[in-house]
Amino acid sequence: MSWIRPVATGCVFAVGIGASSFGVRFGVRAATAPNLITPNPTWARDVAPILYKNCTTCHHPGGAGPFSLLTYADAKRWGPQVVKVTESRYMPPWLPEPGHGDFADNRRLPDADLVLLKKWFEAGMPEGDAKAAPAAPVYDTTWQMGKPDLILKQAEPFTLPAGGTDVFRNFVFPYPLKDGHYIRAMEIRPGAPQVVHHANVLIDRTGSFRRQHPSRWRAGIPGMEILLDAGNTFDPDSHFLFWKPDTPALVEPEGMPWRLDAGNDLILNIHLKPSGKAETIDAEIGLYFTDKPPVKQPMLLQLDRDDALDIPASDKDFTVEDELTLPVDVEALGVYPHAHYLGKDMQAWATLPSGEKKWLVWIRDWDIDRQAVYRYTEPVQLPKGTVLHMRYVYDNSQANPRNPHDPPVRVRAGNRSEDEMAHLWLQVLPVDADPNAPDPRLRLEETWMRNRLRHTPNDRVSLYNLGAALAGEGKFAEAVPEFQQVLAAAPGDAETLTALGAALDGAGDWQGARTALVQVVGSLSAEKQQVCDARFDLASLDLRHEGLETAKSELNAELSACPRDAEAHELLARTDAQAGDLEGAEKELRETARLKPDAPQVHSELAQVLGQAGKLEPAIAEQQAALKLAPDDADGWNNLGVLEARIGKTQDARGDFEHALKLQPDHAQARANLARLAR
Amino acid sequence: MRCLIHTVARFILMSATVLPAFAQLALVDLRGNRVVHLAASGQHAVVLIFAATDCPICNRYVPEIARLQKEFGARDVAFWWVFPNPGDTEAVVRRHELDYSIHASTIIDAKQELVRMAHVSVTPEAAVFAVENGQLREKYHGRVDDLYFSFGKERPAATHHDLEDAIKAVLMGRTAIAAAHGPVGCSIVPLAVLESARR
Repeated sequence: MSWIRPVATGCVFAVGIGASSFGVRFGVRAATAPNLITPNPTWARDVAPILYKNCTTCHHPGGAGPFSLLTYADAKRWGPQVVKVTESRYMPPWLPEPGHGDFADNRRLPDADLVLLKKWFEAGMPEGDAKAAPAAPVYDTTWQMGKPDLILKQAEPFTLPAGGTDVFRNFVFPYPLKDGHYIRAMEIRPGAPQVVHHANVLIDRTGSFRRQHPSRWRAGIPGMEILLDAGNTFDPDSHFLFWKPDTPALVEPEGMPWRLDAGNDLILNIHLKPSGKAETIDAEIGLYFTDKPPVKQPMLLQLDRDDALDIPASDKDFTVEDELTLPVDVEALGVYPHAHYLGKDMQAWATLPSGEKKWLVWIRDWDIDRQAVYRYTEPVQLPKGTVLHMRYVYDNSQANPRNPHDPPVRVRAGNRSEDEMAHLWLQVLPVDADPNAPDPRLRLEETWMRNRLRHTPNDRVSLYNLGAALAGEGKFAEAVPEFQQVLAAAPGDAETLTALGAALDGAGDWQGARTALVQVVGSLSAEKQQVCDARFDLASLDLRHEGLETAKSELNAELSACPRDAEAHELLARTDAQAGDLEGAEKELRETARLKPDAPQVHSELAQVLGQAGKLEPAIAEQQAALKLAPDDADGWNNLGVLEARIGKTQDARGDFEHALKLQPDHAQARANLARLAR
Repeated sequence: MRCLIHTVARFILMSATVLPAFAQLALVDLRGNRVVHLAASGQHAVVLIFAATDCPICNRYVPEIARLQKEFGARDVAFWWVFPNPGDTEAVVRRHELDYSIHASTIIDAKQELVRMAHVSVTPEAAVFAVENGQLREKYHGRVDDLYFSFGKERPAATHHDLEDAIKAVLMGRTAIAAAHGPVGCSIVPLAVLESARR
């Protein structure tokens, strides 16, 4: 079964409200604190600290800003602009309204700083006592976090033309290692930071994007949004891998690394703005590993009303709304609103079961060029039953200077920059989940897909993913009609038939499952991999219901088409072992171990087969190999002890049983074996 | 009444904009040679593009100016890039023109004489002069187009091409229409700022 999901890329959502009354109340004044501003501000004492804290992360030589603000001469050169753009709050880039979500890395300048900068400018931009100025920050020209553990390089450099409109492009970075790694941080060096507005990194678990564009992926594929095949396991997108110029290194919170495995690709979805001269984009992605697996599993959840986007020409207040009721307790960690050029006012909030309203974000003047992920200072607690809302307003009138059409035309949802979008992504972390219940993210996925289907009842991606979520939760009977609905629209779709087969099998209808899988196996249009997947499932089914020979012939047929399928070799080995063909089982397991050398259970199974065949020395070697990979496996130590006892290595065996008991004091077999040794 | 005074003042300024003989000005090209004539014999109009090497908005306009130059250069219009900022020395501008593939006549306006005469205040900003009886009379100064609507904020594409329209108007002997809004760009560094203000 595969998961197909729309992926958050260059664009995302817009919340909206028209003239609203959330602003000033009860005569509360903005905290300008003019009395705190020194009467004669100088660069050295007053201005340099503001610039160093808020501006020079980008505005330094070689940085993403178009000019440097590190020295007094720089500040004086750009003084008029600094005052203008801080007064208008164009800089530092920060869209959220204060008081509507408490965000880490809030870049909004205090009003007092604006007043100070203006006073300094009006006074002729005096330097003051240069010796008293704080030391200018030093910016590393290479990797901000030191040398990465792995550097991925763009396949081919891309030349951004000198002029023209913005460019949205997707570059594929295949993960080259055989071993998987947990990633605690990532840094992107785009090659020409001044032309990169923002970038999203997507994980393509199955290399599906590269397969979609076999001859062109090396040069990068144009487009704002892409669709990826997420593979056979439920592994939802979980992290905002979002890059913007002032945050080149993306460090994940403790306990929340993400993962890369062999065969994965990273896709850099990048928004480029021409600079006036041709620029070379030759990006590098630096990855920093950690050995510690995640202890928290977040998920990206989406509200979306693309279906409702049909914006009449000249409509300046076109509004869309969506809401989703949380099925489990979560903490919201971050939010990523997204629309294109017509988005104006974007609001998102949560209504708690108590009735309390919590703002998630409010952007009054959306600007696609300044889009960002906003992370909450403290996780926002959203108990089960909380209703998430988004409300976006679009301005498709001529008065919207960002309107890409002149005169305005009717605009619908789409992937091009002149189309629109209405997305709100929220990173949520399920909390207080029952450890014995299915992954709570499956409930979230189910709710999300049901919400999408409320708007677009026949959306195939949503139907498929809903079916897959239900199957994942063990609700096989509920999953069946979802897959059947997909098949009604796409008869014979191999991926869906295979998923339907798995759901029917889970629901107890193994004959129905077999019919669905046989249909895939006999399909002439299905891709080779899809046929292999179906044959594998069919063999598993036949092993339980039709007998060993049928299963074996299915597996042999599969392996002649997909000889590198380690799971099929492993299943064939079990089939052989059940049939008493230990030689055949050994051969298949050795092939499995060759394809998956780091899977401890394969070495363990091989040890068992060898042991049964009386090949004790090699069996011990395999069991030791398994324990090297999984040293805390109490069963493994017990099994090693049994093998060693059989060749008379009693002392070694005793040590193994004792080790097993140390790892698992209630290990009954190890205890019994130890007792037998003593006799 | 303030409005009336403003209008009169503007009228006086506009009518006074006839460039004097260039021999009196301290204009040099990138080799340090004095620039004496802005219009060659037979040319009908002169376009000055005021620019700064370090201004991102200005640089963003390089392809658009190259387009206009290509289109109107063949129609007897002289194009000049003018660099008035103190930091834009001949060497800096030469490097910049290489980086941005600018192939045009260039002036270093070290004393900002052209800035004052053309009434410009930011980069990029354009001025268009008609060649009339051997004199240059200013017909337009202002933005190139409306791509930017405030500093750093831009439309997906320009909708009003004010400079192009002004050049066409001058070539047809018509009045150039002033742009609806002022130019958006980097302030030209006033020479007074050169003197460090220490306190």
